[in-house]
Formats: sequence, C-alpha cells, structure tokens
Amino acid sequence: MKATDNPKVTRAPSLPLVWVVPLLALAIGSWMILREYLNHGPEITIEFANAAGVVAGKTVLEYKGVTVGEVQNVELDKDLKVVEVRVRLNKDAAALAREGAEFWIVHPEIGLSGVSGLETLVTGAYLAIQPGLGPPASEFKGKEQAPPPLNKELGRAFLLQSNKLGSLTTGAPVEFREMKVGEVEASQLSDDSTRVLIRIRVYTPYVDLVRTNTQFWNVGGLSLKLGLLGAQINTPSIESLFQGGIAFATPDGDLAPPALDNTQFILNNEAPGDALKWQPKIPVHTPENAPPPPIHSGQIPFVH
Amino acid sequence: MKNSHLVSRKKNLSRASALALAAAIMLVPANLLPVLYTQNAGKIRTDTIFSGIVGLCQEGWWVLGVIVFIASILIPLLKLLGLAWLLIVAQRGPDGRARPLTRLYVVLNIIGRWSMLDVFLVTFLSGVVQFGLFAKAEPRIGIAAFAAAVVLTVMATEAFDPHVLWEHPAGASSPSSAK
Repeated sequence: MKATDNPKVTRAPSLPLVWVVPLLALAIGSWMILREYLNHGPEITIEFANAAGVVAGKTVLEYKGVTVGEVQNVELDKDLKVVEVRVRLNKDAAALAREGAEFWIVHPEIGLSGVSGLETLVTGAYLAIQPGLGPPASEFKGKEQAPPPLNKELGRAFLLQSNKLGSLTTGAPVEFREMKVGEVEASQLSDDSTRVLIRIRVYTPYVDLVRTNTQFWNVGGLSLKLGLLGAQINTPSIESLFQGGIAFATPDGDLAPPALDNTQFILNNEAPGDALKWQPKIPVHTPENAPPPPIHSGQIPFVH
Repeated sequence: MKNSHLVSRKKNLSRASALALAAAIMLVPANLLPVLYTQNAGKIRTDTIFSGIVGLCQEGWWVLGVIVFIASILIPLLKLLGLAWLLIVAQRGPDGRARPLTRLYVVLNIIGRWSMLDVFLVTFLSGVVQFGLFAKAEPRIGIAAFAAAVVLTVMATEAFDPHVLWEHPAGASSPSSAK
C-alpha cells in the first residue's frame, strides 16, 4: 500500500504542550505577588486622644471623599494616655503622609448651622486627612476636630478683636444685610489676655465686601429696648440667634480698598447707629470671574 | 510498537515533570501571600499560611497548629520532593529499587489529598463566619495559589506512571520491559 510505503514520520515535539503549564504558573504566580506588593502603600501611625468609632479593618481614611487607606490596628499607648491608630495607605495616596498633615475623626454632627458627616451614622466614623507640605512622615498627632479649611479658594480670613466672645461659636455665621457670607473659624484669647481674637472667613464671592474701613459688630442674641413709645425687639437671623453671629457694613463715601487676608478689625458690641443705611456700591464677584486671591506669604496667625 | 511505547514513556515523564514544576512554582505565592482575612470583634488579621500556624500556636491551639502545619506545609513540600525524586530516578532507568519507589508513589498518592485541608478550612470559614460587624472571614488570593499547587501536585502524581520505574528507558535491551 502506498500509505505504508511512505509512512509519514513525525517526531514528538521536543517540548510537549504540557510545558505551557509551568510557564503559565510562573506568569500567574509572579502576577499575584507583584500585585500584592505593588498595592501596598506606607503605613502610618496617628495618635488620638479618643478614637471612638474607629474600628480596625473597617474604618477607612478618606481624602476628598475618596478612600485612601484602611485602619489596620487600634491600640492604647503603653502609658494608656493616647490611642495609636495604624493606617495602611494606598499606594497612590502615599504622598499624603507628609509632615504637617492633619488627621481627624468624622462623626455625625447635627448643629444649627447644618448637619455634617450624616453618612457616618450608617457607615461608621471615618478618618479624614488634610495633607501636609513637609517631608514624608509616618507618625502624626490626630486632631479633636476638623481643622478649618486652609484652602485659599474658600475666601479670605480676617481677625476681629473683641473684649468678649459673647455667644459666638465656631461656625457661627458672618452676615452682610442678614445674608450669610462667611463664618467664624476659630477664637482664642490674645497673648496678653486683654482681648478675644476671632478669626472669620468670608466666602469667595463676597470677599470684596470687606474694605479696610468696614465696621464689624456682634449680632448674637436678642436685644430688647423699652421706651415710652413702646418696645422694640431686634432679632438677628434664627441661626445667629442661637450660635451668635457677626455682621458688617461699609460706610458710604469713597470706597476704601478691599481688605487683605488677615487684616485686623475691631468687633463692636453693637451696630454703628446708621449702619443699616450705608449703601456703598460694591461689585460682587462670582467665583468664576473672581480676581486671583492676593498672595500673602505670612503664616496664618493662629491655628485652632 | 516499541517506538510508540517509548514516546508514551517520554511523554508520561515530561507531563508529570511539567505539572510538578508548575506545582512548585505555585507554592511560592501560596506561602508568601495571605490566604485568609479574619475580623473578630474589631481585631483584624490577614494571615499567610505560616502566620496562621504561628497564630494558632500562640493562642494555645497547639494541636490544630501542628495539624495545619503538617497538612499545609509539610505534606505539599514532601510530596513534591518525593515526586521530584521519583522523576529523576525514572529518567535514569530502573536501579533495583523499583519496589520501594513504587511504595513511595502509593504513599504520595494517598497523602496528597489531605493537603486540601487548608483550602477546605478557608472555604468553610468564609462561608460560615459571616456575622457582619462582629466576625467575618474572607479568602485572600494566596489560597487560590495554594489550591492550584495542590491540584497540580495531584495531577502530576496521577500523570506519573509507576510502570516506568520498572522499565529500561532504552526498551530494547531488556525483555522484561515488554508490557
């Protein structure tokens, strides 16, 4: 037969197909290991005075609403004074851990100025971070409260001097014509304890309302005036009734230049007599066409 | 006849060696990577096989730790080493130790299946321990590598034909090589 006369001779392949299996195993194995070690970012330790609501393996670290790390471990310090929270950062978020970074725990908070952290009622507390600018670091001290936004885009900060704090609390409104245009950020005693320093922040579109000759006064609480011709009750907005509040107005006449960041003002206890009649025309910039904020190199006078 | 037999013998050894090599490769991620994530009343652990054994011993579960050590580290390692030995000997041809080697093969075949204990443990834990906030167990990628290593070892053992221990590789020289 022809077929047997010329048998087709084939050699068994020197490397049979089955050797693909170890190659495949090598590829998959190295991929697994690479993936594991590439995903690991640095580990940082944060000290908190109180870590209520922080659960290892469950609580996450968020930055701008994005999860950038996970709490690995929560334990008391050796002398039982502080809680050490160990957080593993994601690889892509490693750059957040720099000296000066601030950490705080976000709990749900319900106040007159609004509800914040409501989602934490369901999800549990989470850690938040405001990145620092210093060299990379791995040990931090946590804050009790969220630090005030340092973001220059959010407006301009001004310092008010007052002889008493009154009912002003952090977050109390700063009003212009009874419209909220800013808020109280922090307060503390002056160095010689003769005055109270209050830092307020006026939001971006309204920053130009504050001129160098602007008058500030405290609007917290009710004021009641009894006279022969009747009684007069002055109420501020409901919000400032409870939280205290600050109002300001700029006198008529030649418009003074806009006040720069951290300009100091006196906080009056009462409105200047004719303040409500002042009507200088001040253009208000929307965030889109706002002029760039003035560059100021000085540091912020005090940090809460 | 003889030729086809030779080819099949060569194929047989090659197949078993390839699978054994693949199993050995998979053992590396299986032992390096975490296999199990557990969360128990706020305590979180991500364990590799070895750290799991250490953890068991530290918490006083000596017996369990030893069992897991034997099933998950010792047996896979010994089995692969034994198989490697068999493959090397088979490559050279019979040297009069065919009987004990065959016995070794039988033992390897029997104990190999117990390596799946770890995979079973992780699967079982992940399925049963799901109490939301309080206790949770989840498998991690290492267990997949481990399962692959065990399955590949079993396949390699199956692929290895103990007959080759009794045969001369040349085939022609010995009449006893005929099946």
